[in-house]
Amino acid sequence: MIATNDNAAQQVVIQLVDLHKIYRVGTELVHALRGVSLSIRKNEYVAIMGPSGSGKSTMLNILGCLDVPSDGAYLLAGQDVAKLSQSRLARVRGRQIGFVFQSFELLPRTTALKNVELPMTYTRARHRRRRALDGLSRVGLGDRIHHRPNQLSGGQKQRVAIARALAQQPDIILADEPTGNLDSVTGDEIMDIFDAVHADGQTIIIVTHEDHIAARCHRVIELKDGNVVRDEATGRAPDAARREASTAS
Amino acid sequence: MRLLYAVLHMLVAIPGGVALIGGAVVTALVQIWANKVRSLLTVLGIIIAVTSIITVVSLTQGFGDYVTNFLRGLGTNMMVCYPEWIRGPRGEFLRPAELSITDIQSVDTHADAVRRTSPVVFHNSTVEYGRRQLTGINLRGTNELFQPIRNYYVDLGRFYGPVDVENAAQVCVLGREVLRKLECDESLVGDYIHIDSQRFQVIGLLEAKGSFMGENQDQVICVPWTTALKMYPEQRDYLAFFVEAAAEDKIPRAEGQLVRILRQRHGLKPGQANDFGLFKQDQILQEFHKIRTIATSVLAGIVSISLLVGGIGIMNVMLVSVAERTREIGLRKSVGARRRDILMQFLTESVVLSTVGGAIGIVLGYGLAALASMHPSMTEVKVPGWSVALALGFSAGVGIFFGLMPALKAAIIHPIDALRHE
Ligand SMILES: Nc1ncnc2c1ncn2[C@@H]1O[C@H](COP(=O)(O)OP(=O)(O)O)[C@@H](O)[C@H]1O
Ligand SMILES: [Mg+2]
Repeated sequence: MIATNDNAAQQVVIQLVDLHKIYRVGTELVHALRGVSLSIRKNEYVAIMGPSGSGKSTMLNILGCLDVPSDGAYLLAGQDVAKLSQSRLARVRGRQIGFVFQSFELLPRTTALKNVELPMTYTRARHRRRRALDGLSRVGLGDRIHHRPNQLSGGQKQRVAIARALAQQPDIILADEPTGNLDSVTGDEIMDIFDAVHADGQTIIIVTHEDHIAARCHRVIELKDGNVVRDEATGRAPDAARREASTAS
Repeated sequence: MRLLYAVLHMLVAIPGGVALIGGAVVTALVQIWANKVRSLLTVLGIIIAVTSIITVVSLTQGFGDYVTNFLRGLGTNMMVCYPEWIRGPRGEFLRPAELSITDIQSVDTHADAVRRTSPVVFHNSTVEYGRRQLTGINLRGTNELFQPIRNYYVDLGRFYGPVDVENAAQVCVLGREVLRKLECDESLVGDYIHIDSQRFQVIGLLEAKGSFMGENQDQVICVPWTTALKMYPEQRDYLAFFVEAAAEDKIPRAEGQLVRILRQRHGLKPGQANDFGLFKQDQILQEFHKIRTIATSVLAGIVSISLLVGGIGIMNVMLVSVAERTREIGLRKSVGARRRDILMQFLTESVVLSTVGGAIGIVLGYGLAALASMHPSMTEVKVPGWSVALALGFSAGVGIFFGLMPALKAAIIHPIDALRHE
């Protein structure tokens, strides 16, 4: 139990218990996750690494409530996700989690502003336009609000996507190789934004295969063939987190 | 596109639920605009359906008004009684039965549901004035009651009176078309013309009635029936009469009395057919109702087939749209869209699509109705408000009905499957 911790910022927000994911391709079964168990606390800054096909995206999609595990449990803020109704799941995806995709996934023919407003339209949030404007200036795109995706560079697109993920101030930001389609300079700029978001108290989980990206996080979880093979604090981790991670592993 | 976005911004500024629906509609309009040609082809069926509704409804309505007006112009309670030819045992015509003037008088005195009667002699006459000669003019030999019975009055000069009828005076009243064809003005009143070589004084001009079904009603000359019979004695065999019932609801009663009196006078035994006929206005109405029923069923056929075609078109294009935008659906779901949000998005799109089709159809229908109203017998054509409402209702209904399946399909897509979609 974490109850011994006096720091409220260290409550567990994500807990995976013996998580399995099996894909069926024709008659063949692909075992993408083979019993992953781990927990992530509030305001952690986690990198998920591992070779291609090791199950990183599969795991992140499950964390984002975009996919469901074949077996095992996923507790989000103590709540068993498998027990949530479809509309509660939509609510979780809309309010609690912000997802950033490798390929940005912006609506085509739609301005940056409207893309950022999109999550808020589904919760009928007020002041959508103002909040979207704030979000865009926060990622440094205050002067690109009426540009459409085809008028933006890759890095700019990813900033719009991050502004969209942040729009509803979710507790958790999940990013699947957010810098995978970007050059390293642009990638570092994106990481600067994540650093700032983390400093605001949000929990961040980034899938990456780039060491320098992972090095900017505080904890690295490495997957191989659907198993966690490494879970440790990085040099940037504050002492408490480092201690926590090392006792966990 | 810029304009659309401006509208979009404006709509989103409207607070509350209006903005939400407005936003969905604008999103749908943007989507439809992005696929203009495809959208237009899709809603062709709906356009045809709505155009047919609007045009046919306004034409039958307008034509109905036209017929009603014409009947009112005939005098609402009027019937024409005419002799029916007598048939031999093998159905061959023997000779025309004769309606005698005493028959007419008898009906007038004994039938209490009959208010007025007038003998009527029909003839196609030739009219001459100066060098002008007109042939085929409808001559009517009547008594002095023609005006109230036919609801057709002299508006210049006078109509002939009982004395003129009694004396078989050589006086006549002209319809406006005769005047026009004689190339005369109103100063002809008081002057003399020749009708089939007989000299007549023009004592009055009838008001203009216009034409009905392409036939000019003003090409008519009225003379005392006594004068007409003197000129055309052979017309005695065809002597008919106008009968005016005391009131519109007395028409059946007047008809019953008339038939009874005439059968008695002609000595017809039970089972023997009438040797006279009756022409009533409701026959015209019945004819018209028959036409309207046919038009309505043809309309219903066209409308249901084209709505079905249009609906299937919409379903098809919506299925394509859902497939094309699978990734978008996945993205929307990943940022918090519920199933019902996606359902409403696509349902709104199909309803907007079909309603746009409906609106185009309404515009086309208006155009066709306006075109039709240029025809002389269609001047009363107007588009009734209920037909517009009906047409819009139909198109929206088609949008909902045929959009439901694709929208449901979109709504239940699993977010990650949608996002993986190529
Ligand atoms: N939708 C799917 N259907 C079948 N197999 C899949 C599917 N998604 C992923 N896989 C398989 O699961 C394994 C893990 O994939 P993934 O989580 O995408 O790996 P990573 O993101 O680490 O590269 C791979 O072997 C991949 O081929
Ligand atoms: Mg991956």
